[in-house]
Amino acid sequence: MVIEQARIDAPSAEAPKVAGGRPRPRSRGFDAPRFLPVITGLVFVYLFAPILVVTWFSFNSKQSLNVFGTPSLQWYDQLIHDPIITGSLFASIEIALVTMVVATVIGTLLAFGLVRARSHFSRPTDILMLLNLVSPEVVTGVALLLVFSEAGGFLLQFGIQFGLSLATVVLGHITFSIAYVTIIVRGRLAALNREVEEAALDLGATNVSAMRLVTLPLLWPAIIASGLLVFVMSFDDFVTSYFTTGVGVEPLPLRIYSMIHFGVTPEINAVGTLMMVMTIVVVLAALALFTYQQNARQELAFLAE
Amino acid sequence: MTSNRLWRLLLAPGAVWLLLLFVAPFGVVIAVSLGTTDILGRPVFGWYPENYQQVFDPIFIPVLVRSAAFAIGTTLLCLVIGYPVAYMIARYGGRFRNLMIVLIILPWFADYLVRIYAWFVILGNEGVVNGLLHAAGLPGNPPITFVNTPFAVVGGLVYDYLPFMILPIYAALERMDPSVIEAGKDLYGTPFHTFLNVTWPATIQGVIAGAVLVGLPAVGDFATAQILGGPNTYMIGNLINDQFTNGGYPPFGAALTIALMVLLSLLMVFYLRSASRQSGAVA
Amino acid sequence: MTAAAEPPTVRLEGVVKRFNTTTAVDNLSLDVGKGEFFSMLGPSGCGKTTTLRIIAGFEQPDEGSVFLEGLSVENTPPYHRNVNTVFQSYALFEHLNVWDNVAFGLRRKKVPEAEIRKRVSEMLDLVRLKQKATSKPRQLSGGQQQRVALGRALVNLPAVLLLDEPLGALDLQLRKQMQIELKQIQRTVGITFVYVTHDQEEALTMSDRIAVMNEGVLQQCGTPEEIYERPANAFVAGFIGISNLIPGALEGPGVRLQTGQLIPADLEDGMAPGEAVLLCVRPEKLRLNSRADGDASVEGIVAETVYLGTATQYVIELAPGVRIVAIENNTQTASSDKRFARGSKVVIGWLPEHGRVLRS
Repeated sequence: MVIEQARIDAPSAEAPKVAGGRPRPRSRGFDAPRFLPVITGLVFVYLFAPILVVTWFSFNSKQSLNVFGTPSLQWYDQLIHDPIITGSLFASIEIALVTMVVATVIGTLLAFGLVRARSHFSRPTDILMLLNLVSPEVVTGVALLLVFSEAGGFLLQFGIQFGLSLATVVLGHITFSIAYVTIIVRGRLAALNREVEEAALDLGATNVSAMRLVTLPLLWPAIIASGLLVFVMSFDDFVTSYFTTGVGVEPLPLRIYSMIHFGVTPEINAVGTLMMVMTIVVVLAALALFTYQQNARQELAFLAE
Repeated sequence: MTSNRLWRLLLAPGAVWLLLLFVAPFGVVIAVSLGTTDILGRPVFGWYPENYQQVFDPIFIPVLVRSAAFAIGTTLLCLVIGYPVAYMIARYGGRFRNLMIVLIILPWFADYLVRIYAWFVILGNEGVVNGLLHAAGLPGNPPITFVNTPFAVVGGLVYDYLPFMILPIYAALERMDPSVIEAGKDLYGTPFHTFLNVTWPATIQGVIAGAVLVGLPAVGDFATAQILGGPNTYMIGNLINDQFTNGGYPPFGAALTIALMVLLSLLMVFYLRSASRQSGAVA
Repeated sequence: MTAAAEPPTVRLEGVVKRFNTTTAVDNLSLDVGKGEFFSMLGPSGCGKTTTLRIIAGFEQPDEGSVFLEGLSVENTPPYHRNVNTVFQSYALFEHLNVWDNVAFGLRRKKVPEAEIRKRVSEMLDLVRLKQKATSKPRQLSGGQQQRVALGRALVNLPAVLLLDEPLGALDLQLRKQMQIELKQIQRTVGITFVYVTHDQEEALTMSDRIAVMNEGVLQQCGTPEEIYERPANAFVAGFIGISNLIPGALEGPGVRLQTGQLIPADLEDGMAPGEAVLLCVRPEKLRLNSRADGDASVEGIVAETVYLGTATQYVIELAPGVRIVAIENNTQTASSDKRFARGSKVVIGWLPEHGRVLRS
């Protein structure tokens, strides 16, 4: 739907009147209150200023936060040679990769189940998933912490060592990621014309072939996009990791948290910038896929649920 | 089509996983919330419902109220700031609409902590703003204290959740037929009245969705308060968090968690009911 | 229709299909012969699409049997039936180009690639899409997409081609053109077509036989002429073309109209005297002010005249509340003063055999 600048009869109309045809805005002449573009501009500044500042200061040669010396890569240098940080970085990447794969698979299956199955379990499962989506991470984090602790104690009776560790972090991440995959894939799946699959059957494809040849190819962009989203969310995650991590290597956001808590050093700027660059690259890739071959508006519309 | 059984089977992995790692843990939380601890501080099961009474202990009332206030304040601020932006993009964005939406979302993908920390950099006692003010000659050291105030916490929360308010409203606005607004202008004259009587009611669903996506998680936030706030910005999230670190009392933390979850579930159910009444099914 | 030794291509026996509390198809039995252009006609919700889907295999009947080429297809899934469908929404494969869309069915059947090349190429010629072979569906116009859907189904040379309101989304001009093309293609290829539509004009012009349905029940099955000239009941009479349905009662060898006149008419067997009936006469069968001996006739006053170019339509009031429609070709009346004016009295006559007596 193209929102056209319609002709306004108000005296202050600035929309250029074009002879015949539909009026086209040559300039963004607004019939709207002036404050709209001003607020929007401010909000964009508001949103980007902090991260730009962090990036800016990551190249600071001085340690201070309000004086900028000369551009320098010293903090990055320090980063790379800090084994704890690099250890955390790789841990975070590993966790994110595993989470991405598992959550995408489970989430996609769930999406199919919710859209296609006629079952009494559909609605409850749906509600469960939505609840998971909007639950504060504190709540789910505490729940996971307790269940893992109890499970650990229980299994110890059988001589099995089970405690908080990177594995439990992965389990926690997968748990909150499934809902995101399901919602995205389900949106795309529901928008697919059922008759297309029926056409495949009609033309001689079995159920499995129809899925493989027709449904999945149309679904790939949504699946991959949601996978990348999961990667980013897992990589960035703080609260769930906080409650489910054990001793030893911790995910990168937790490392940053400790660093902030125990004294602010500009090294954090560098770590933060590094993380941002990584995630933004992944996100842009996901968005490119997301809008591939279709109207992005459809995707955003379901967020209004 | 054929074989409904196959589709039902696909529900299984997701449902099972959520049951095991989302529902079951809550069972454990409830169990712990009704228990107590042993000498080592580990949870022990029993029947101690007084943990819940402690939730409503007058000492903690300010914390609960404050959390609610922060969440509501954050939601309202996000609404006031976010609605014009969503309106601007939806109605006047033109070709750049999608780009602008992408730009709105992009900062959110920078790490949560980094974003909070960034505000620390800007508004902290040795931060950029104070540095500038100091250089400009303002008295005081630091000239203005932003951090450790409720404003910093709310500001941080708004910063974090703003995209979640903008997106649903934008989606609702986008779905509107622009000619309806023009018709409204004919009927109601001033832009303000048009907005009140035409645009706003049509986008209520989006606003409510945004309020849910912002308000619910905001109630449970604790990292923002921890880093940007101080003792006087203590929120439920902080309270819960403290119960599970040294010197805390896990059953109480569990009780708090359950109470919080119940409250939010009620709000969620209320939202779902109103949503399905308005349009078709939400999900 | 059906040759003595050869079974009908499609046979439905007592098919019933229910959805929750509604019966979409109610005890339907019909036969479709080889090479026939068979239409299912009726208003929305009459069950015609459901019937089509049952033949295709996407729905299973709750009762009754379906036979294709003489064999029961009760347990045969759609991909094993020698049937192909042209969907109302075209249902093209967006991610494949036109060529791959059309070749899809042949590839499923593992037809050798050389033969596929030949057959797809011929089919694209037949539907006039040769130049668009490498285009993707979204690059095509509605009419072109419709032809891809047709070609994709037809290339497999099924025993029956099912078409679900395929021309619904096209504008009038294009629709008329496609109707002619479809009919020509069907004659060329010789395949049995089962065609679903709610447009009675479309059904009349294209079909060899029509099955008229309403609320899941078959109303009448016959050639276009039979359906039009000898409708079986009031619904068919009203649905096809314009009909005059005048209430009355059987009396002797004719019908005593509500307006008082006794009209001679052809009676069906089994109608009892005094039974309430409807006299059905088509507008074009009515002669104004020129009745011949032996005609049935009534008198009335012209209430409205509508100039249609080739003809003039008159609404004539026989009595308060009883109006009929007459259509007269404008072969002799080039100027309006030769035509009947509003308010003038006319005598209307028609041949008794043109008056059908229907149960009300």
